[in-house]
Amino acid sequence: MWKKVYDWIEERLGLKALYDNLLDRPEPKGNWWNTLGSASLFLFVIQGLTGIFLTVYYTPSPDHAYDSIQYIMNGVAFGWLIRGIHHWGASLMIIIVFVHMLRVFVTASFKYPRELTWLIGIGLLLLTLGMGFTGYLLPWHQMAYWATTVGTQIAGSVPFLGDFILKALRGGPDLSALTLQRFFAAHIWLLPAALAGLIGVHLYLIIKHGESHYPSRDE
Amino acid sequence: MNDETKKQINQRYDRELQRGERFWPDSIFKDVIVSLAIFIVLVLLATFIGVENSPKADPSDTAYIPRPEWYFLFLFKFLALYGQIPLLGKVEWLATVLVPTIGIGLLTLLPFIDKSPWRYYTRRMLPLTVMGIIVFDMVLLTLVSDIPTVSESGSKLPGILQTVMGLAIPGLALIVLYYLAYRRGEDSPVAPMLWTSGLAAVLMVGFAAATFIVAPPVAKTEETVANTLIEQISAGQDLYSVHCVECHGDDGKVTVIEGVEGLEGKEISPINGRDMLYTLNDAAIAEVINYGRPDAGMNPFGKAYNPEGLTKSEIDYIVTFMRYNWDDRFEKPVMKPLFPSLADGEVPSYDVHIAPIVKRYCISCHRAGKDNNNFLMTSYQEILTTGDQADKNLVKGDMNSYLLQVIQGQAILDEKGEELIGVMPPKGHLPTDVIDVWIRWIMNGMPQTAEEAAALYVPPTPVPTPTP
Repeated sequence: MWKKVYDWIEERLGLKALYDNLLDRPEPKGNWWNTLGSASLFLFVIQGLTGIFLTVYYTPSPDHAYDSIQYIMNGVAFGWLIRGIHHWGASLMIIIVFVHMLRVFVTASFKYPRELTWLIGIGLLLLTLGMGFTGYLLPWHQMAYWATTVGTQIAGSVPFLGDFILKALRGGPDLSALTLQRFFAAHIWLLPAALAGLIGVHLYLIIKHGESHYPSRDE
Repeated sequence: MNDETKKQINQRYDRELQRGERFWPDSIFKDVIVSLAIFIVLVLLATFIGVENSPKADPSDTAYIPRPEWYFLFLFKFLALYGQIPLLGKVEWLATVLVPTIGIGLLTLLPFIDKSPWRYYTRRMLPLTVMGIIVFDMVLLTLVSDIPTVSESGSKLPGILQTVMGLAIPGLALIVLYYLAYRRGEDSPVAPMLWTSGLAAVLMVGFAAATFIVAPPVAKTEETVANTLIEQISAGQDLYSVHCVECHGDDGKVTVIEGVEGLEGKEISPINGRDMLYTLNDAAIAEVINYGRPDAGMNPFGKAYNPEGLTKSEIDYIVTFMRYNWDDRFEKPVMKPLFPSLADGEVPSYDVHIAPIVKRYCISCHRAGKDNNNFLMTSYQEILTTGDQADKNLVKGDMNSYLLQVIQGQAILDEKGEELIGVMPPKGHLPTDVIDVWIRWIMNGMPQTAEEAAALYVPPTPVPTPTP
């Protein structure tokens, strides 16, 4: 009976081919440093899941953002845990993505044939920093408000284009409801979509070229 | 890179695959363990450290010292140090735009800059040491980020030390490393380059340590944030007692202001009734407190009008306090007592008992700028030493201390029989347990800390039962 069900599914999904091509692959001998990439992916998924839960209660408006987070922390069952994981996960993700980048640099894994994987990896690093920057404003407390004020000011110091960049980031000359709204949109739609897309390409390239091996003396 | 090298690289990789492992289950196994460990760490951090809170954003609070997220701190410090450089430091965009752009640009184009096929570390000394110095510098800059470049006494030494640590030594090291790498052509000298970067690292740590010794990091000022409803109501009541009581009275039902300079005899509407609480929502009440009602005599209390005014969070706490105390649609939660009750013979302390009492009942008038015979009560020292009658206000072990007399309804008169100090508080009177705390505190020597008070504790001697 189970055999029949399995055969039916297998015939339509082709799980065997998936298994052969994705999972049952040979790899060079690795060590624990090789787990940093998958750890980054895991954190991306965790941040996505906890972030989705948070949007259920969070309100992106200056009048209610702060209070809605107070409610998540004190009123919602396990809200403090979800927010705590999201908060710490953000910091940890930045550390791990950065150390992953250092590992690839030290073992020179970015060289032929993996140049494109590196390029996309840099994109992922910058997008992760962008997620951190946009997410930090959302609690709308003093630390967030003033950190973003200064952060956008720095972006505004670009010669010639500075004023335009500043206004584009803030949605006007000052931090306002528009800033919060567009940081929120960037944080939950724009940047995650870009991240997910680039992660897909990154993974495809890793499967295509395989993980690099640790170089020995003659290389 | 020619086809021959590419072929060699690919053959080499195939050989490595032959003596390697399987993606499933070997690699996945390790990945799963690390992911699980990360998840546990996150749950522990969320449970035992939690998320730091901060008061609600307040655009009018321009005194707030901004601080970016921790992972941008190194960039912030770099900007501050760069600003120290004469002349060049004035051109801000060099540091804010050009340097980060070059850094990210180099990082992005790395595979096209470093095109040699070599991967083993001895053949890549230059990139490795350069990256090592830069990352090390980033870590150190993050560590010293809380130390200002100018010390409290106005000395520029901390800034100079930091500039040497964060800009001069690493910059010099990079130049030496490039020189060593290109002097010999293809083969970089391993030992001298390791020595150079090691020496630079040690020097940087030395200067970082010197910075910490010269200017210890300023302790962050603790921001009190009321998280739970009970804390918010309590914070609101304290703020109300300081800022609002004079005009509105402790129960909010005052209709004619008495004894307030400039507003004497002004008729106001009570703020504890349905008229007010049912017609204004929280945001509207907060706006009245923030912007005031000039025609009705209400002063603006927001920071925008007065640098020492109330923040947005503080105004919210006052509104919460009013709602839960006076609005009959809200049910007040069980509040914590203002101070822990005292057992027989137990001595109250300033920190635990007197400070919250003073905050609730006295500070409204007994602070700078109010008519109070110069008797200020905002700290332990002030209570003991200020006031026109400082020597008689609080006398250890004396029931006739002026303070004890006036809170028990006994005004102090001078020789001519005129009132020197009226009864306190001027309107209403203190609860008996609060008067009891004051009496016990003064009679037992006015200890400041809970430890000092505990040392004075005398267990009550059992009353001897008369033997027949």
